[in-house]
Amino acid sequence: MQALLAFENAPPFTAPLRFFLTAPLFGVLAGLLVAFEGADLFASRWSPGALAATHLITVGFMLQIMLGALIQILPVVAGANLKRPLLVARLVHVGLSTGALLLAVGFLFELPAFLGGAAALLGVTVLFFLAATAAALAGVPSTSPTIRGIKLALVGLFCVVGLGIAMALALAGAWSLSLPELADLHAGWGLGGWAAVLLAALAYVVVPMFQLTPAYPARSSWWFPVAMLLMLAVWSVALLFEQSVPARLAQFGAALLGIAFAMQTMRLQAKRRRARPDATYRYWQFGLIASVLALVMLSVVAWWPEAGELPGWSLLFGILLVAGGFLPFMTGMLYKIVPFLSWMHLQNYGQARIPAPAMNKILAEPGMWRQMLAYFLALALLLAAVFFPARLACPAGLVFAVANGWLGWNLLGAIKRYRSHFADITLKLATS
Amino acid sequence: MTHPKTPHVVDARYMEPPGPFVETMEMLDRLKMGEKMLLLLFLEPHPLYKVLRQNGHAYETELLPDGTYEILITR
Repeated sequence: MQALLAFENAPPFTAPLRFFLTAPLFGVLAGLLVAFEGADLFASRWSPGALAATHLITVGFMLQIMLGALIQILPVVAGANLKRPLLVARLVHVGLSTGALLLAVGFLFELPAFLGGAAALLGVTVLFFLAATAAALAGVPSTSPTIRGIKLALVGLFCVVGLGIAMALALAGAWSLSLPELADLHAGWGLGGWAAVLLAALAYVVVPMFQLTPAYPARSSWWFPVAMLLMLAVWSVALLFEQSVPARLAQFGAALLGIAFAMQTMRLQAKRRRARPDATYRYWQFGLIASVLALVMLSVVAWWPEAGELPGWSLLFGILLVAGGFLPFMTGMLYKIVPFLSWMHLQNYGQARIPAPAMNKILAEPGMWRQMLAYFLALALLLAAVFFPARLACPAGLVFAVANGWLGWNLLGAIKRYRSHFADITLKLATS
Repeated sequence: MTHPKTPHVVDARYMEPPGPFVETMEMLDRLKMGEKMLLLLFLEPHPLYKVLRQNGHAYETELLPDGTYEILITR
């Protein structure tokens, strides 16, 4: 009976699930785009293919999962209940997915109207999401580093989307802006102010819970999100007043903060109480190492800006941080969250009379491990393709598409088993 | 395990969900009215708070420097 009582805050399973199942499709699209475009995509970070693939991943995959996870987790970690979560999920999911596709098409075929349309749609969608979450969080005190982190991450989301809209309108011809510097700042807010701050805020809860590690120390957890946003604010003001030294110092500060968070997580993982490493643990370990390498590159550029002009530097940094860091973190978490939510909904449906199957019966470990190895191969090929694009771009893209398709397949398998157990429980409840 | 605040302690810091919730509710069932129990966790349990409020239990939460949340619950 008690287990049922904790359930009433949870949104319907389909609310977050639609995001989790759509994200891998964008991963597949990004991989196919890399394969199709081949060496041209690796010519520069500004190539149409590179911009399209980047946004398929950052908006179509990452933002998709992060918004879906927030809809699920806000009641649990902040006691903040979205009003009509299923309606919010439906609208945000459609706006986000359509906007990501429009954006990628706009970049790939250099169509200003598509870029403008994508900016408008994504802007409205994210503003709607921010309004819904702000209403849920109104009056919720920041009693934990996680709540404070989520609130600050939402500020970061507002900034990254605002900058993105400004740039899309500039590309569409409406405004004249200095795009390269703004693009760096847009990426900084997106990956630092939004993704890293949200990741840390959620990691404070999910790393100890799912990986059985000690907790993150309270003091650094309170200050990491604040310090990261402060660095981005300094960077933004410095750019506004065309001051390159403070901008570079802020980039360096943001990189150091990221490295410190990654090292702290590694230290906690080393003290975990789960003896056997599972796929989530390995994904996180891998993501942490790749992130540290990427952030060391960012630190080098902060002191020696010319390094950023070296052939392949920017692409290598982007692949390491996004495909090597953030995607493994998110995939690792999906491999815990989807079976856990399946278990929780089945447990509730069984009314404590019919127990739910264990999480590893819903999503088995061997399937996750094989997918993970495919993903690591894809990443190795992508990194190598920066140096040998003519030979490796196509296989790298194809393996990346396969690994993401495999992720989607694994998650679909979990949902299939969830539905089968759901039907079993229905039968047992009817006959008991 | 005992604690200066109360002898009734659920140390759920390395427990996988839903263990912390179930063990807390079971211990609350065993306590007499007015007795206190302490729950140790690495996260703030908002769904549990809601259940505690609904069932009329008072609680106080303190975040320790090592990241442990001490939740003192009165039956």
